[in-house]
Amino acid sequence: MLTSINPTMKAFAVLIPALLLAVTYDPLTPSIYLVFTILVTFLFSKVAFKRWLVIFSPFLLLAVSFAWMTMLHPSEAFSGGDVLFSIWSFQVTSESFWAGISLGLRSLSFAALSLLFILTTDSTKFMLSLMQQCKLPPKLTFGILAGYRFLPTFRYELQVLRQAHRIRGVGRARGMKERLHQFRRYAIPLLANAIRKAERVALAMESKGFTGEPNRTHYHEMTIHKRDWVFVSVFFVMFFVSVFLSYQLGFLNIFGKQF
Amino acid sequence: MTNKWNLREIVLMAILGVVFAVIYLFFFTVGTGLTNVLTPFGLGPFGYEVIFGIWFIVSIITAYIIRKPGAALISETIAGGVQVLMGSPAGPMLIVSALIQGLGAETAFAATKYRNFSTGVLVAAGIGAAVFSFIWGLYHSGYLALSLPLLSSMLIVRVISGALIAGLLGKWITERLADTGVLRSYALGKEWQSKREHKAS
Repeated sequence: MLTSINPTMKAFAVLIPALLLAVTYDPLTPSIYLVFTILVTFLFSKVAFKRWLVIFSPFLLLAVSFAWMTMLHPSEAFSGGDVLFSIWSFQVTSESFWAGISLGLRSLSFAALSLLFILTTDSTKFMLSLMQQCKLPPKLTFGILAGYRFLPTFRYELQVLRQAHRIRGVGRARGMKERLHQFRRYAIPLLANAIRKAERVALAMESKGFTGEPNRTHYHEMTIHKRDWVFVSVFFVMFFVSVFLSYQLGFLNIFGKQF
Repeated sequence: MTNKWNLREIVLMAILGVVFAVIYLFFFTVGTGLTNVLTPFGLGPFGYEVIFGIWFIVSIITAYIIRKPGAALISETIAGGVQVLMGSPAGPMLIVSALIQGLGAETAFAATKYRNFSTGVLVAAGIGAAVFSFIWGLYHSGYLALSLPLLSSMLIVRVISGALIAGLLGKWITERLADTGVLRSYALGKEWQSKREHKAS
């Protein structure tokens, strides 16, 4: 289901609510959106829960870390309320506590939105759709796709480089100075090779008649259907639903202003 | 904007974007590691601040090599986009963040009308990217809820990181590349060669 949505439209569907969620500073609005995103992910795609959790869990840690920082160092707008507890020389008040929780939940709902996109989108189709729907110049699109295709080659080259160094008796680096030197020994040849490849690819493209004309025909036509629009609108409307719900329950807080 | 570019420069920009996308993703894990160490002190996100400059480096390198309007902006955006293609868990928002960082670096080059590529301007581009990304963070990551002393120290650390890692390290890497001769057909390589000939005579 989710895999068949037009990639560009899907990108907008996850971008717009993420941009809008950034105005809320209460814990409820992002949590409603987080639950909604997770539900959509598992109801409309075949993403394995275990795989999702493996990618999502580092964000839990980041969210906790950011929430903790906000609680200890709140701005004046968020430092009111009763003192909940104090640690070292910091006093955590109720307002800073909830602001921290809110920011943590916000980053989690951003992560859930991203995963919904990442785990259900084919990267080549995303690029082709950006070219056909967003008018990304074909020169750029095919340049990026060609570069993307070289990723395994780069890994292979690094391996060859490492073996070439070893066979000539260059050992493993020890200490800071040697590490820096080693970085230079690997990074510069790898980058130089990448630049040479770029030149060759450009020549190959030109010699095969690629002009980069924007009004070209496409082998893989990417199209936008009605359900793509529905998909985007659902994600858009759901933001206002969660804002409305938290307003009704008396939680809503926009830029530190309680509503 | 890309009409005045030849295909060779565009593909170079795309491939640099791909290479640095790999490096960016790698440094994401480095940042997470540093964050873990700093979290108990309530300073977790500083783990990213100290190495933030690495995420602007492709702007500086590409603009220094190609020297055309848009090089810094487009290359950074490509690097962000390729990270999405590679499955970065930060998702499509990364493209927006990269665009804003690239815009910061581009501003510095635009201010000199793309004529001056001295060390000072490259460092200014790194600082520009740091400042722009910080303003974006104020809105997007909710930094607004943080206290002023903490915010200003975050900004200072990020600016220093942008100046040193993106500006100076970026310049150093690009010049070592120019030394190898692979940049001969780009603006920087041409300047490099004429300098060398000048020195020889």
